[in-house]
Amino acid sequence: MEPRLASLVIEGLKRAHVRFVVGLPDSMLAGVYVAAKKDHDIKYIQVTNEAEGASVAAGAWMAGGRSVLVMENSGLRAACEALARLGLVNGVPVTMLMGYRGDLGERFHWGVNHGMTMEPLLKALRIPYWIIDREKQIIPAVTRAVIHGVSSLYHTAVVFRTPLVNEGK
Amino acid sequence: MKRYDLLKQLAALVTEEDLVVTSIGGVKPEWYSLMPGNGTMFADLLGCATPFALGVALNLPHRRVVALDTDGGMLFNLGALCTVGNESPPNLTVIVLDNERYEGVVGCPPTHTSGRVDLERMAAGAGIPCTATARSLENFVESAAMMLSDGQAGLLVAKIEPGVFKDIPPERAKESDGIEDKYRFMRHIERLEKITIRPRYVRE
Repeated sequence: MEPRLASLVIEGLKRAHVRFVVGLPDSMLAGVYVAAKKDHDIKYIQVTNEAEGASVAAGAWMAGGRSVLVMENSGLRAACEALARLGLVNGVPVTMLMGYRGDLGERFHWGVNHGMTMEPLLKALRIPYWIIDREKQIIPAVTRAVIHGVSSLYHTAVVFRTPLVNEGK
Repeated sequence: MKRYDLLKQLAALVTEEDLVVTSIGGVKPEWYSLMPGNGTMFADLLGCATPFALGVALNLPHRRVVALDTDGGMLFNLGALCTVGNESPPNLTVIVLDNERYEGVVGCPPTHTSGRVDLERMAAGAGIPCTATARSLENFVESAAMMLSDGQAGLLVAKIEPGVFKDIPPERAKESDGIEDKYRFMRHIERLEKITIRPRYVRE
């Protein structure tokens, strides 16, 4: 994601009073990690896997610090057990921002399977999600995903597809 | 060293102003029977206690936070050690109750800490500034008291005997589920911090 679009993600987060961006760096949303690290109002926490990231984000949220987990959509698979327990057992929300690897037109053979599993997993976990591909959708989708997490006490997700994200070469 | 005896000592070291996050397993009913207040989040996920406590600690840097983790929980998510090491919040103390067993599993099969794995050395290698291993109650009290007051992120491995405390009085038994636990902990933090975490109407 180019810096101009990443700044819109940060703006959406700020409108929803998000203070923590927890992430495992990936190529598609690379600009978001950079922007979050640079921002003085946001604390960026780099984790080692997305399940750990879900727990860190949930802990910050429970203590009053709104948070999001940023990752590639393959991270959803790694995070499923944590998300299931945190969401279904405790009702502690994690809002996820993820790049849509494996979208129709995917150029990498290894990325195709990410697209095949993403939506079925989101549906299995009953996570409301928005798939967006236009610049003007970024701020409202990000803000509303966080707000919906707070009101529903359940996970939410925003999935960014091309041309909003870098496909990589 | 028995877990219940250790938890009794720990209960004397923490106050209602501190926040605690527990792992799953025998620690939950035992800790609840000793500290039935609302300052504990009883996590229901293996590998979650330490990263969850890290999130709490980073958001509330003025408040002491204790993760009551286990050998099984820590081994499930070793990357969390590295994130704790890199962030090193000075208000976080991780206590690993290491009985070298998956105690909730039939036959109590051993964990890797019963072999060559040393969680204290791994924590030190991950960059956690203060680490120790306690093999007696006296050791534990001394190290825990130090870590709770030294203003550094710390990890204390407590080598405990396998076994569950069976004499919890019925009035001290934990009956709540995960949702009730969440609300109690969240409302407790709202009162302590004078904040609203989950408002009736969520504004931009």
